[in-house]
Amino acid sequence: MLLKLDLTDSRPLHEQVAGAIRRAIAEGECAPGDRLPPARELSRALGVNANTVLRGLRALRDEGVLEFRRGRGVTVLAGADQRARLADQAGALLAEATRLGYSRADLVELIRRLP
Amino acid sequence: MNGGGNGIRGARRGAAVWAVAVYAALVALPLAAAGRLPEPVATHWSGSGGPDGSTPFWGVAAFPAGLWTVLLAGLALSTRWTGGAVRPGHAAALAAAGVLVTGAQASIVHANLDHVVWTEADGVGLDVTLVLTASLLAGLVVGLATRRTAVLASAARAGGPGDEPAGGPQLDIPAGERFAWLSRAVNRWLLLTAALSALLAAGTAVAAVAGLVGTPWPALVPLVIVSISVYLCSTVQALVTPKGLEVAFGPAGWPVRRWPVEAIASARAEQRTPAQVGGWGYRLSGLGTTVMLRRGDCLVIHPHEGADFAVSVDDAERGAALLNSLAARHTTG
Repeated sequence: MLLKLDLTDSRPLHEQVAGAIRRAIAEGECAPGDRLPPARELSRALGVNANTVLRGLRALRDEGVLEFRRGRGVTVLAGADQRARLADQAGALLAEATRLGYSRADLVELIRRLP
Repeated sequence: MNGGGNGIRGARRGAAVWAVAVYAALVALPLAAAGRLPEPVATHWSGSGGPDGSTPFWGVAAFPAGLWTVLLAGLALSTRWTGGAVRPGHAAALAAAGVLVTGAQASIVHANLDHVVWTEADGVGLDVTLVLTASLLAGLVVGLATRRTAVLASAARAGGPGDEPAGGPQLDIPAGERFAWLSRAVNRWLLLTAALSALLAAGTAVAAVAGLVGTPWPALVPLVIVSISVYLCSTVQALVTPKGLEVAFGPAGWPVRRWPVEAIASARAEQRTPAQVGGWGYRLSGLGTTVMLRRGDCLVIHPHEGADFAVSVDDAERGAALLNSLAARHTTG
């Protein structure tokens, strides 16, 4: 799989790691049901501490993108690709709203009022 | 001035001539003195100076020749492992060991010459000192000379054209992004073979401890070696980062073989089969080194020095493309 890390990104590193894996899933680098490489290897690939990688992976598990299974490692959940893409787009939307001066609540209100 | 390729070829030819010359001396020395040696021949001396061990006549030539073969094989493997470059250490070891075995052979023949029984052979105290000194000197001189040549060769190569990453696929890396490519391959049959031989080894060891069988070493040692080496070749992970290529062996990801990006001239993907490279596992063949776990897609790198290195992993095309882009970026700035 190909992992891309944006070096100009100013978000915390663990969020960047989660973003890189989310992006890889959204781009079809790993399909639902696939096993993710071990955290140690991801940490070498991204040049990031293994604990930071684990923190990013846990965030993705809480998001419903990944599943941690004993003895099977970390696997990509079914539908995770669409979910990851959606989460990616939502993140971009939130960033754009913040840039334009809208708060998170404004954005939620905006979405609620959509037909 | 020789280019790098000429230097390596010259060094190889020199090593080959030296290897054959030492073989010839090891066999010719006892043959030349055949009529004047006792049978068996004294081949080992005690600390006090008298002979305390003997070997039949045929063994006098065969044993040192076998030793020399093992040494040559070890050096050849380690040269390949380090990328096929001329190493001053290897050349020095080759020279020192050649002088040592030839000198030892000469002193054995000398000490036995014109004696009827091996127990009456002369002492070798002075010979040992002379041979060790000569061996050390030979190693030192050859080591220093090779270092000079190696430095000159690499200097000539650094300035020479034709080493830039040419051909092969490339991948666009946008500015400000870090790309990394990972891939792995697993061969379950090799894993199973490793597990079975480990089980057999454990069984043999237990049987030996229980006193059911005699010395277990002839069975145990090969089983343990097979088990470990097959285990290490059952899984392979390739990782391409801006630093270069890392290939990790075994399910535990250790040991790791690293290729810095500046050592890689170009990379490509290739279809290879076990039949082409002589089987599964870590293979040395005319195609270079191949880590073969399954037929099909292989990532092949062509280093600046030494033979090609290939590893059978999926999605090799993109791994090669990324390596080429990183290598190009490295040379341009």
